[in-house]
Amino acid sequence: MSSFMFRKRASSGSWVVLCQNPEAKTQFVPYLLFSTLSEPQPTTLNKPSKPQNLSNSIENKRILDSGSSSFSLKTSKTLLGSVHNHTFSRNIFVSGSKPLALSSASGKNITGSHCSPLSSISFGSQRRGIWHLSTENRVLASGCGVLVLPMVKSLYSSRGGLAPCSLGCLFGTQAAMEPSTCDGLTVDRIIASEWLILDEDESDWKSHAAAIAQSIHLIKKRLQWKKLMIRLDLLSAEVNKPDLWNDPVHAGKISREHGSLMGKMKEVKAFERELLEHIDMVKLAREENDGELESESMNALLKMRITSKEKETEALLAGEQDPCSCYIEVQSGAGGTESNDWAAMVMQMYKVWAQQRGYKISVVDEMPGEIAGIKRATIKVDGEYAFGYAKAEVGVHRLVRISPFDSSKRRHTSFAAVAVTPINEDASAHVQINESDLRIERFRSGGPGGQHANTTDSAVRIVHVPTGITATSQNERSQHMNKASAMAVLQSRLDQLEMARQTQMNAQYSQSLTDITWGSQIRSYVLHPYRMVKDLRTNYEVSDPDSVLEGDLDGFIMSYLSASLDKDEDDR
Amino acid sequence: MKLSFSPKLSTFLKPSSVTNLHRSFCSSSISSPPPTSLKPQTPLFLKPPIHSAASSDLQKWHDWAKSLASSVGSTFVDLDNGPDSTLLCREIKWLMEDAIEEESEGMENNQRSIRLRVALEELYMLWKQRVEERRPFQYVVGCEHWRDLVLCVQEGVLIPRPETELIVDLVGDVVLGNEGLREGLWADLGTGSGAIAIGIGRILGTGGRVIATDLSPAAFEVAGFNVQRYGLQDVVELRQGSWLEPLKDMEGKLAGLVSNPPYIPSDDISGLQAEVGRHEPKVALDGGINGMDDLLHICKGAASMLKPGGFFAFETNGEKQCKHLVEYMENDAGGSFCNLKIVPDFAGINRFVTGFHK
Repeated sequence: MSSFMFRKRASSGSWVVLCQNPEAKTQFVPYLLFSTLSEPQPTTLNKPSKPQNLSNSIENKRILDSGSSSFSLKTSKTLLGSVHNHTFSRNIFVSGSKPLALSSASGKNITGSHCSPLSSISFGSQRRGIWHLSTENRVLASGCGVLVLPMVKSLYSSRGGLAPCSLGCLFGTQAAMEPSTCDGLTVDRIIASEWLILDEDESDWKSHAAAIAQSIHLIKKRLQWKKLMIRLDLLSAEVNKPDLWNDPVHAGKISREHGSLMGKMKEVKAFERELLEHIDMVKLAREENDGELESESMNALLKMRITSKEKETEALLAGEQDPCSCYIEVQSGAGGTESNDWAAMVMQMYKVWAQQRGYKISVVDEMPGEIAGIKRATIKVDGEYAFGYAKAEVGVHRLVRISPFDSSKRRHTSFAAVAVTPINEDASAHVQINESDLRIERFRSGGPGGQHANTTDSAVRIVHVPTGITATSQNERSQHMNKASAMAVLQSRLDQLEMARQTQMNAQYSQSLTDITWGSQIRSYVLHPYRMVKDLRTNYEVSDPDSVLEGDLDGFIMSYLSASLDKDEDDR
Repeated sequence: MKLSFSPKLSTFLKPSSVTNLHRSFCSSSISSPPPTSLKPQTPLFLKPPIHSAASSDLQKWHDWAKSLASSVGSTFVDLDNGPDSTLLCREIKWLMEDAIEEESEGMENNQRSIRLRVALEELYMLWKQRVEERRPFQYVVGCEHWRDLVLCVQEGVLIPRPETELIVDLVGDVVLGNEGLREGLWADLGTGSGAIAIGIGRILGTGGRVIATDLSPAAFEVAGFNVQRYGLQDVVELRQGSWLEPLKDMEGKLAGLVSNPPYIPSDDISGLQAEVGRHEPKVALDGGINGMDDLLHICKGAASMLKPGGFFAFETNGEKQCKHLVEYMENDAGGSFCNLKIVPDFAGINRFVTGFHK
């Protein structure tokens, strides 16, 4: 058994091939192990290095590449060595871990002599060196250092060096960006291959891989991948500014967002790499006729396929504010009692929906109609992702029915507007409010007040004078508590306003969902002459209005969220 | 159809210590009953839930209460600026909050019985009193939510007003950057339910103390109950007596002096809103011919009670009294006060006079 390892020496930026097993008898393929412990660094070390034969020099079989260098793609083209006489070996210890099968997939694809997609890579004048690793076997390698590719390294950094190694991935056109299998398979190529997707219980790796690849594609689209990358670049530049922390509030904001974007992207990339690794493993197992490994890898793929569905849903709620609690405000349109009754029905629908989702709700403000229903009401919905879901409800809701308030039984159309405001728990992210900018007033008062009056009404309205934004609370039993509650509403409204302002500034990163205006008509509830609820944005419809009014809203919410995130191919 | 009152009983403010305090209070009062008949009544929300009613019966009560409230319309508003239907409906909700033991999670069938702190018949009676006799809601439920406190109140004790909450904010502002005031001795004259004294007692530093005085035995008892409920026995000391009389030993020692004395001119008493005029103690409302008898009396004593740099805040009937008071302090009080200010309440009425002893 024999194996080779390339080792990059951080100091010189050079790669060497290590022969671990001098007794390697016959054929082998270089197993290129890069176990990096660091993130890719932007520095380019592009100097030619001296080939060094370090055979036998490593006892413990640990390969640690602590350095890094990203060579340009041009350089990487010179890398390819031709490897004859390949074989696969297993049980190489990487980074002191348990034995792991290592694969560089079928050797033919990385050997210069007969690689197909890679054959354009030239040898010749740029070839840096050919190392004789044993008398019988030769590995041709050229262009030292080019094997350092970000994804290869992050592969290890994210998986603690335990992953099987895939090095064939160096040669794709987007090699520097996109992970691939040893034979150059990327997520995009898997999708392009249009492999048939079978049921989950069909044990076919291509079917699993295709399903997972599609999920990854969808997840990226939902996360608005391209915008995410642009934003990340922007933030990275910001984070690296030496004077960043001169403004600690701003710096905190920037580094929080930077961290959260990095986290999101890392997770997807890791998932992508995992898929490709498992594909490598399946292929390897087939070549090796290792049934156990094959079924193991197949199970892993199946598991990924199931997880990927969950991740798709998660990706719908990837907005920065999505995990927040929120306020839902319903306002009745013109039209008196029928309209007020409709507003109350809408509010009731959200109360039940929130309760069914396990959210805690409390009424902040409620202005009843004269005869029935409400003119306006605000509830607080407490719980994870309350805003993420509820934001899909922003807009005008229309009702058509025979009004029970109309003695001549005519058909009425009424409207209720819904606004949703996220509650940012992170006090440091709050917009600063100057006490002097506030005008606090008793909501309803008259007469001399004080000892003259006994009233349980201690409603308070707070006006933020510079913006004209107001918040009212009247459902608490003391003025002090009403003030605190109105302050919280005001804070979240100002935060949202600030958010919208910043979003406009970063237009390329803007999400239509952060638009907080009452908006246009989004949904129609028809009780007469036919019965149907239809979302005008997605055309999602349900023929049982009662179930919807009893809080069964998730179908509408999910279809809207996916439609709004999935619609634009270019947004990926 | 669900009961419309079922959601959200938990917003109700309950200091974690409340129940325990209540228990200890109750048990001690059972073992050794207080000597007088002035024993404070247990407010509704602290009564044990030993009654029950079918939810359908409670729904009936609710419908009845609502229709009674609706029948009021704007009659009371037009009559004496009393409550309208909307406000009464909200009070029904709060009455239920106080009367119903918080339901455990999980909805059962509609015929479930609901545990109550009063018998259903009494609930009918209470709401009848509220609407027909104009009995103040706070007396009906035996408590008033004031700032972040729930204070027990009963007939004979003035129900603390929302406006008065601001006195605690004013004190909070001055003690913020002033250790002498924060750790000093304060007095609340005519404390009533103990509201201001408790409010201030909770924002002072560890060394700060409040002496609360009141002439009325009922107020004295109720304030004592409230002080205990908030565990402030070591911070708030109650002394029974008229205004500054019980504070003779404190001359020149007070860091702060606050009061919400009766300030309504005698002539206005007869035309007061029914809830106030018919039910609240006249002694806590009537401030003499121009309403300023007690305010002026306190002002006269303030200079001798406050130490140099000491702060005061008084509530008044409005603009006229504020101006009068400031004038008095500038001219007649021999220039012993400075930084005199008139502060409006949230309705925009000039309500408070504040200042410092030189």
